[in-house]
Amino acid sequence: MNQKEKFWGLIILIIVILGYVIPYAFLSDVTKWYGSFLIWSILAIITFVANFFLTTDWSDEE
Amino acid sequence: MSTTLVWSTIAIYIVIALIIAYLSRNGRQNSMSGYFLGERKLNGFVSALSYSATTYSAFMLVGLAGLTYNGGVGALGFEIIYFMGVSLVAIFGPRFWLVGKKYGYVTPSEMLGDRYQNKGVAVVAAVASSLFLIPYSAVQLTGIGYLLQGVTNDAIPYTTGVIIATVLALIFSYIAGIRSVVWTDSLQSLIMIITSTIVVILIVNSLGGVSGFFASIEANDPQALAVPGNGFFNFWTFLGLTIPWFFFSISNPQVSQRLFMPASLKSLRHMLLGFLVFGLIYTVVSVVWGFSASILFPGLENADLATPMLLSSDVVPPILGVIVMVGIMAAAISTIDSILLTLSSLFSRDVYRHVKGGADDRKQLLIGKIVIPVIAVLAFLFAQLELDLIAVLSVASSAGLIVVVPAIIGTFFWKRGTAAGVIISVTTSSILVIYIEATGGLLLGLKSGIWGIVVSTALFIVVSVTTQPPEQKANEFIDYVKERMKHKK
Repeated sequence: MNQKEKFWGLIILIIVILGYVIPYAFLSDVTKWYGSFLIWSILAIITFVANFFLTTDWSDEE
Repeated sequence: MSTTLVWSTIAIYIVIALIIAYLSRNGRQNSMSGYFLGERKLNGFVSALSYSATTYSAFMLVGLAGLTYNGGVGALGFEIIYFMGVSLVAIFGPRFWLVGKKYGYVTPSEMLGDRYQNKGVAVVAAVASSLFLIPYSAVQLTGIGYLLQGVTNDAIPYTTGVIIATVLALIFSYIAGIRSVVWTDSLQSLIMIITSTIVVILIVNSLGGVSGFFASIEANDPQALAVPGNGFFNFWTFLGLTIPWFFFSISNPQVSQRLFMPASLKSLRHMLLGFLVFGLIYTVVSVVWGFSASILFPGLENADLATPMLLSSDVVPPILGVIVMVGIMAAAISTIDSILLTLSSLFSRDVYRHVKGGADDRKQLLIGKIVIPVIAVLAFLFAQLELDLIAVLSVASSAGLIVVVPAIIGTFFWKRGTAAGVIISVTTSSILVIYIEATGGLLLGLKSGIWGIVVSTALFIVVSVTTQPPEQKANEFIDYVKERMKHKK
């Protein structure tokens, strides 16, 4: 994997782990919209951003 | 829901889809890569819509909404972990694309067979895929049958629904191969995302807007906003459900084959990002949908009825309700037609070609076209019989296909991987997954998907290090990918 892939790949890996840890370890008693619902939505948006930057230099060469 | 309205909407859908499928017949379809890959020239926009339609079957607005109804916000987490897993396309997508172009691969299992220099690898991977995906298609058909029967109060009988769906899936894949599939898929996903979003907005408004919506959930069942909540999504269940889906984008051939199709890496990028936007909206829509049903119709015995109830309720205008209902039917069809096409290419390219040595491209295409209706009929018969084994295989499909993941990772990143490692890990872990699903779904308290990934990884590594790798091919293949990827910084 090249440098860019390693960097963003690591970010995505951390996001995935947070997707398991935060809701189960810290938010299991927060029964509000700003609990797990919000955190998963935010992590999903960060995933999109990571994919956006990871793929910026993909060329249109056929 | 009025039967006349349902029938007229189905008729309109069929006419429009047929016209689109017919118009898609450009380009050459007389070669394997023309028919099954659109000559590797698909643009990013239709690729994204079609990728979405293929991935998101009837499961979303029925199954995921049902999971939300039963287990609350954990269903959102489950789908978001899958969503994160699609990032694998950003790593594996350009690699699939590069080697697909260089070596002319048509199917993912063909790639495995060539990379590990063993025909048996291609055959085993192809057979394992069919074993799980035909039952999966059958269950999709079953879903359509019940949905139509349910919302029309038996006016459209179960078998009629199943026949309509089978015939349409067959026609869409037959008219122009992948081209008619991607264009009809695009129609379906566009209509679906627009109408289902409108419906959800209407429902949330009727519950007093976003704050009213969340207040209703809190009043109704506050536990639904946390995990494990009512216990439905305990951590191990969540892990067992999410792991197979995390790898879905590379383990399932009907989507990984899509990585060979875009015209350029830029098109692949548009496919990936377009899908992520679509996926996020559709996920939130489906989860809000499930929550709404739990507020409006608490206490249903079967959560799969939540969606039909919602669609027939007063909150949703009948015309929108019926469009979404037909959209759910179309969603199942758009998943099945892609699977049909992929499986027939797997059969002709990876099984027939190797068993009948020397079959040329034209002969393979002919066999592929003959096999499409055969697989459709098999799925139809399975849907009619409703055998327990079929249900087991379908449930096992996401977990079952995960067993090929170590071999795929090894293809690009591990020169020591061997054919024996692939064959033994895929066969043994597939059997193990089926065994676990057939005997209650848990082994030592863990779900089959966790066992599938752990056992297949261990076997792949252990068997590989004790056998001889195809050094020359491994070096050439991996070095080529490395060199090309380096130029992308």
